[in-house]
Amino acid sequence: MNKKLLHKTTRSFLILAVIILVMSAPVFYFVSHWLYIYEADEVLAFHKEDFLKESKKDFTKADIAAWNKYNRNVRITEDIGITNDSIFSKEYFDSTSKENEPFRELWAPITINGKKYTYIERSNLVVMEAMVISIAVMFLAVIAFLMIGIIWLSKRSAAKLWAPFYDTLHQVKDFEIDKNNQPEFVPTDIVEFDTLNKSIGRLIEKNTIIYKSQREFIENAAHELQTPLALFQNKIDALIQLPDITEEQSVVLDSLNKDVSRMNRLNKNLLLLSKIDNSQTFERQTIVINDYIKKHLGFFAEQAKAKHLEIVTEFMEVLQIQSNPGLAEILLNNLFLNAIRHNNDHGKIIITVADKSVTFLNSGSATALSGEKLFNRFAKINPSGKGNGLGLAIVKKIAEINNWKITYSFEANLHAFTVKFPEMQEYT
Amino acid sequence: MKILIIEDELQIAQSIKDYFKPNGVHCETAATYKEAVSKIGMYDYDCILLDLMLPDGDGFDILKELKKENKTEGVIIISAKENLETRIEGFNLGADDYLTKPFHLSELLVRMQALIRRKNFKGSNTVTFNEIIIDVFGKSVTVNGEKLDITKKEIDLLLFLIGNENKVLSKAAIAEHLSGDMADMLDNHDFVYAHIKNLKKKLTKAGSEDYIQTIYGLGYKWQNE
Repeated sequence: MNKKLLHKTTRSFLILAVIILVMSAPVFYFVSHWLYIYEADEVLAFHKEDFLKESKKDFTKADIAAWNKYNRNVRITEDIGITNDSIFSKEYFDSTSKENEPFRELWAPITINGKKYTYIERSNLVVMEAMVISIAVMFLAVIAFLMIGIIWLSKRSAAKLWAPFYDTLHQVKDFEIDKNNQPEFVPTDIVEFDTLNKSIGRLIEKNTIIYKSQREFIENAAHELQTPLALFQNKIDALIQLPDITEEQSVVLDSLNKDVSRMNRLNKNLLLLSKIDNSQTFERQTIVINDYIKKHLGFFAEQAKAKHLEIVTEFMEVLQIQSNPGLAEILLNNLFLNAIRHNNDHGKIIITVADKSVTFLNSGSATALSGEKLFNRFAKINPSGKGNGLGLAIVKKIAEINNWKITYSFEANLHAFTVKFPEMQEYT
Repeated sequence: MKILIIEDELQIAQSIKDYFKPNGVHCETAATYKEAVSKIGMYDYDCILLDLMLPDGDGFDILKELKKENKTEGVIIISAKENLETRIEGFNLGADDYLTKPFHLSELLVRMQALIRRKNFKGSNTVTFNEIIIDVFGKSVTVNGEKLDITKKEIDLLLFLIGNENKVLSKAAIAEHLSGDMADMLDNHDFVYAHIKNLKKKLTKAGSEDYIQTIYGLGYKWQNE
């Protein structure tokens, strides 16, 4: 799974913080523990020196017994045979708290009135335990607060720092070359981001220009073709006026006539497609689909006569839509023409208007057509067809810019093209 | 009949000229804006064919010039520009018709004739060919005074044929003429045959000469035998 950049940088921060915390806790504990013991030992040694200097001067045997009686932590015992001072840890049972408690104990050989004794002093470490722990906890808390603060701050400043980057990312994601939404980057004082923005800006600008000129090229090329096509057409018109044209020549001329008509139509369709592509807006008004179908029914019925097609219209509702009338008409005409063109002799065409949609059903080839390719430019399904492969591309384009849904299906040996219109809505 | 062709593409102007000449239309040509304006200033024409894109000016300016000089010539715009805006602007500036390139010369000829008829309209608008009289506004045809039962489309076809007298008309040209705005949606030209056949039958039945000749493989021709 991909993670966000900020997530990654804070994560390494966090890991470092946790490692330092985990490692420093025992180290700190042991160091402060050692320090305390060291201090306790110092105190014990100091007490002994003090005792030797001040207390023992006029100590009698009875004094020693009294001393031992009232002193809980310092005892003078008979010499137990040690020659050097020794300090060690030991646990004693405490009758008050009823548990073993840690002590530091000093054994030192001393001489009182020429007689050898052993000086034993112990120091309770219970206080130290609690203190070491509370100091450690406090220290840890301070470190933890510091860490959290640092992480929080760095995260916040990083978010702020990277904000222009995320903004750029967002805009690039939303950019579509065929829509007119040029990204506008927020100015930034960070050199890298500024360079990034400028580079992307240049890239987009350049590509948009190339894309536009490509689109315009088609329109211009088609436009430029109009004049030579007009000349071609006119010359054929003139040529067929010549007397004494043989049958053979007339066959060629007739075929030329058809070819030039076909070229004309192809060129006009190309012009239309690029015009739809290049226009930003089309004027809309309310139109009634049923009327548009009825309007040209006669024309198409005439076209269908050669194939003896039966045309049936089933108007279940009066379908009103918002659209550019010219484009809506072109869409319907193209679908109608398509239904005639790819039909069989004695075939059938059913035009249905129902449920906010219009459907052209036609008989034709016995198998379903490839739905994806069908609407592509120059995707000719039937190689012998007379179509120029732009009719359905135009239909799709018109549907697209109006947000209508065009679908193809094949049921009961009928090819169905359905255009679904959205619910009547106000366009702004 | 005298017309002015304002067109910088000389070959197109020439082919219009050649096509129109046998039908009694005298054509003058102007290839530039300057030439066009000076010719309009000097002569009166029955009709002006106007290309919008000229090397030294805009066709629309010629329309403005005509208006300024209170000229009443009918103007047909012949342009490669095919969009509603230029069409509307043309009509607003006083053009009478708009034909997009490429077009059939036969189409241009009948449009021009129709325009001149409208311009010279004096109470009635009729086309007479021997025994055949067509009332263009009333949408009726009489042969030797007898009214025919004829459809609008057949009248349209008849006018197209008579207007292009002695010209071989390809099936494509006839089909496109009859289809009007729907010409781009033509699937085949076979329906032309049916219309020709019906018209021929109606005319000869009413006692008219058979003027419609079938030219093998190419199309039809209206000829006064």
